[in-house]
Parts: sequence; C-alpha cells; structure tokens
Amino acid sequence: AMAWRAAPRAAARLLLGRRGIASCLDPSTGLTEDQKEFQKVALDFAAKEMAPYMAEWDEKEIFPVETMRKAAQLGFGGIYVKPDVGGSGLSRLDTSIIFEALSTGCASTTAYMSIHNMCVWMIDTFGNEEQRRRFCPSLCSMEKFASYCLTEPGSGSDAASLLTSAQRKGDTYVLNGSKAFISGGGDTDVYVVMCRTGGPGPKGISCLVLEKGMPGLSFGKKEKKVGWNSQPTRAVIFEDCIVPVGNRLGAEGQGFSIAMQGLNGGRINIASCSLGAAHASVLLAQEHLTVRKQFGEPLANNQYLQFRLAEMATRLVAARLMVRNAARALQDGREDAAVLCSMAKLFATDECFGICNQALQMHGGYGYLKDYAVQQFVRDIRVHQILEGTNEVMRMIVARNLLQG
Amino acid sequence: QAIDDDCNQTGQLLAAMLDWPQGTFASRVQLEDGAVRVEREVDGGLETLRLRLPAVLTADLRLNEPRYATLPNIMKAKKKPLEVIPAAELGGAPGGPPRLKVLQVQEPPARAGGEKVENVAALVEKLRQSGRV
Repeated sequence: AMAWRAAPRAAARLLLGRRGIASCLDPSTGLTEDQKEFQKVALDFAAKEMAPYMAEWDEKEIFPVETMRKAAQLGFGGIYVKPDVGGSGLSRLDTSIIFEALSTGCASTTAYMSIHNMCVWMIDTFGNEEQRRRFCPSLCSMEKFASYCLTEPGSGSDAASLLTSAQRKGDTYVLNGSKAFISGGGDTDVYVVMCRTGGPGPKGISCLVLEKGMPGLSFGKKEKKVGWNSQPTRAVIFEDCIVPVGNRLGAEGQGFSIAMQGLNGGRINIASCSLGAAHASVLLAQEHLTVRKQFGEPLANNQYLQFRLAEMATRLVAARLMVRNAARALQDGREDAAVLCSMAKLFATDECFGICNQALQMHGGYGYLKDYAVQQFVRDIRVHQILEGTNEVMRMIVARNLLQG
Repeated sequence: QAIDDDCNQTGQLLAAMLDWPQGTFASRVQLEDGAVRVEREVDGGLETLRLRLPAVLTADLRLNEPRYATLPNIMKAKKKPLEVIPAAELGGAPGGPPRLKVLQVQEPPARAGGEKVENVAALVEKLRQSGRV
C-alpha cells in the first residue's frame, strides 16, 4: 500500500524540479509576465497539493473538497467570472494556461474544477443581478459546488432532443425527467439544468438553476468509472420538482444557446486538462527512458524511442497551440471562435490521449501498474474524447462550418 | 542576508544598536511569556536559545512555507505604486565616501596535522585541554 503513494510523490518531485525543462516543451513560452505568474502558482499548487494525492483520490474515489477550496482561495473557483461577484476576471487564455498547469497534478480533479467554473460563468453571464449575487460568490469560493446538467439517458450527442420537462405553474416550474452522467451529481450544491419549457428542438429549451434539497430532486447511484474517480458521477432525477421562476437564467427558449456558449469555454478547458496530463506524461516517459536500462544501455539511447518521444513532444506543442489559439478567438469574440473551440477540443483530446498512451507503453510493464502515475493520466483523459461533445460531434461542427458556413 | 553584498549583518547590527538580544537564522520560533524560544540553524546543527523580549530575530528559509500568490494579488501587484527614492535623500550619495572601513583581511589558519591518541580517555582529555568540550 505504500508503493502507490511513493510513485505520485516522485511524479510531484519531477514536476517541481523539472518544469517543462526542455525548451521545446516549455509551456510558458510566448506568455506575458502575468500569465507566467499564474502558471507558476498553478504548477506549484498542482505539484504540492494535488500530485501527491491523485492516486489516493482515484483509488478511494475521494472528491477532494478541501483541496479544491484551497484552490478557490487562490482564485481558481471562478477564473473567468467577473470580480464583482467573487471571480478572478481573467481571460480564456489565462484560464487555459491555469487548467493545463493544474492538470499536471490531477487531471480528473482539474476537469471537475473546469466544469464548476463553466457553470459559475453561465450564471455570471446570463443571470440577472439578483441571481449573480445569490449564486456566484459562494460558488467562486467553492463554499458550494456546481454541476452542469444537459445529457439525458435518451439524449447525448443529440442534446437538443432532451426530454426533461419544466411546466410553468404560476411562479414556479415543475420539472419531470432525469439527467445522466452528471459530474459532481449528488455531492454538489447547485445544478444548472437545461429543460424543456416550450416546443421540440433547441428553441424550446430553457436553463434553470436548481439547488440540492429542493423537493423532488434526487440522485441515482454513484457510477463506477474507468477514470475521473476523484469526482462522483450520478444521474439527477426530477420528480415534480418545484423550481421558482426566479431561478431561470435568461429568457425562456434561450437555454440551449446558454448551454452551447458554456460548452465553447468548457471545450477549451477540457482540452487544456488533456494538455496538462500529456505534458506530465511526457516528462514521466523522458525520466523513465533515461533511467531504465535494457541490452546494456538506457532506453534513451534507442533511436526508435528517441523518435517516438520527439513525435510526442511535437504533437503536444501542436495541440497546445490549437487550444491557445481557440482561447484567444473566444475571448476576442471572433466569429470563428465556436468552430475553433471544436477543432481544438477534437485535436487536443485525441492527440493527448495518444501521447499519454505512448508514454505508458514506454514504461513497459511498469506503465500498467497503479504505482505509476502514467496509467492514471491515460484513464483520466480518455473520457475527454467523449464528453462536452464527442469528438464525432466536433467533426460535425467543423464539417458544417466548411460545407455550409 | 542582503542580496547585494551577502553580508548577513542587518539583523545583528539592529540588535546591537537597540541593545536587544538576537536570534538569527531562526528555523523555529515559539512565543512564551515575555520571552521567545528560538531554534537556530548553525553549522553544527540546531541551537536553541531563549531570549527575553523584545528581541531581534532573522528568518531562515526553513522557518515557514511560503504562501501561494493568489490570482487577484498577482494582478494587483502590477498596479502597486513603486516609489523611487533618490539615494541622496537617504543620506548617502552613490560614489561618495564608503561607509564601511576594512580593518583586516586574514586567511583562516592553515590546516594542522591531526594527532593519534591511545584511548578514549586520552581523547576526552585532549578535547578538554583545547577547550572544545
């Protein structure tokens, strides 16, 4: 039982002492002084507060509330939320850099934090003053946690066909239906729920904010997953759940648009988490190649492995540039932002999974042991190719832009 | 330990000027009633002193774990005023007469040969004679 604790600490030492040491991989190149400072804080936090615990959180399925609250004290609870309600008011690029750095410590926990951030931003951006003041401050401090509820058992990629109904009754909506695969579900306090208030299709969907404890709101069993084990995943069930009209974000029928706009940022954030995991994995592989000897010499003397490592590094830098480019487009409000976010999410999550998987392979048999961190990065970021819009849906978005746009 | 000359004297000078006790290179500090217990990092290990208050302490890097900078503070740092004070106003013109006088420079004593002793008792006696015990 001591072994699995030792390896993540080794990984943490690795991150602290050898932060992107090769200049080709250095994630701080091209950043402003401020951004380098943000990155430094996030990398330090990841190495000291997350990396030593990521294996334990994974094995014991611990939702690390206290660690995330510590992160929130540094401003990581509402990174791109406006300061007047407790956010840090930073840009999408700043956010990407931060999540990429945090993810080197634990990709699963960082991914949850990015979902939380996305929810707070949605309330900040589309909520009225009263809603912003009611919900955002305690979410930014992570006194309370949030979940994003779009997917249902019958509607994943075809999100606009969702069935959860919200019938208007006087000053309330009465919700019936259920959501599936909700990250944080059951443990979080605030639920941003897309539900049907009108006719079929996207235009009939509204966005309501629910709180744990509302009558008629319950949760399914905690799912057993391959990765993302430091965040609970449950179904969210609405049975004549009564929600005040004052909890609706924006107008009736605006919900789908709100959901999609949230996802643009969410896709950059998830892609950033993949980048961090891949970066950590490349460093682990590099270390292993120099240490492990076979046939009388270090693995690093082997040209095949040298070339493989070079390819991994090249793809990582390419993916990072895609993500940062999309982040800039989004924060500048460019027309092509949504499609660039889709491209970046597609490219980075696919490439980074490949990189982590290659890194595992380079570890040989050791890579398959839970004592070594690389397998957790592989397991944790596998799902990034699936959620926040499958990579197939990302292709649909790009194709539509090419053929109709 | 000033970053320009590494002299390691500011805290010590202050204590001398104030005639207060000093605990330098503190790696652990415990307040007691009217006094402070200071664990110091010294060449041979750790030395613990008990000083009557008020006292001057200087910190070793092992005293504390630095806090993380918060994102809002990083952004505020840029906007903090940076006051520039000309050296003349502080009573020392650059290029003026030096305020430090070198009294003496000497090499450490050349390393003498060691000495073998018969037994432990003789060793202890030798150490006592040379004032090391």
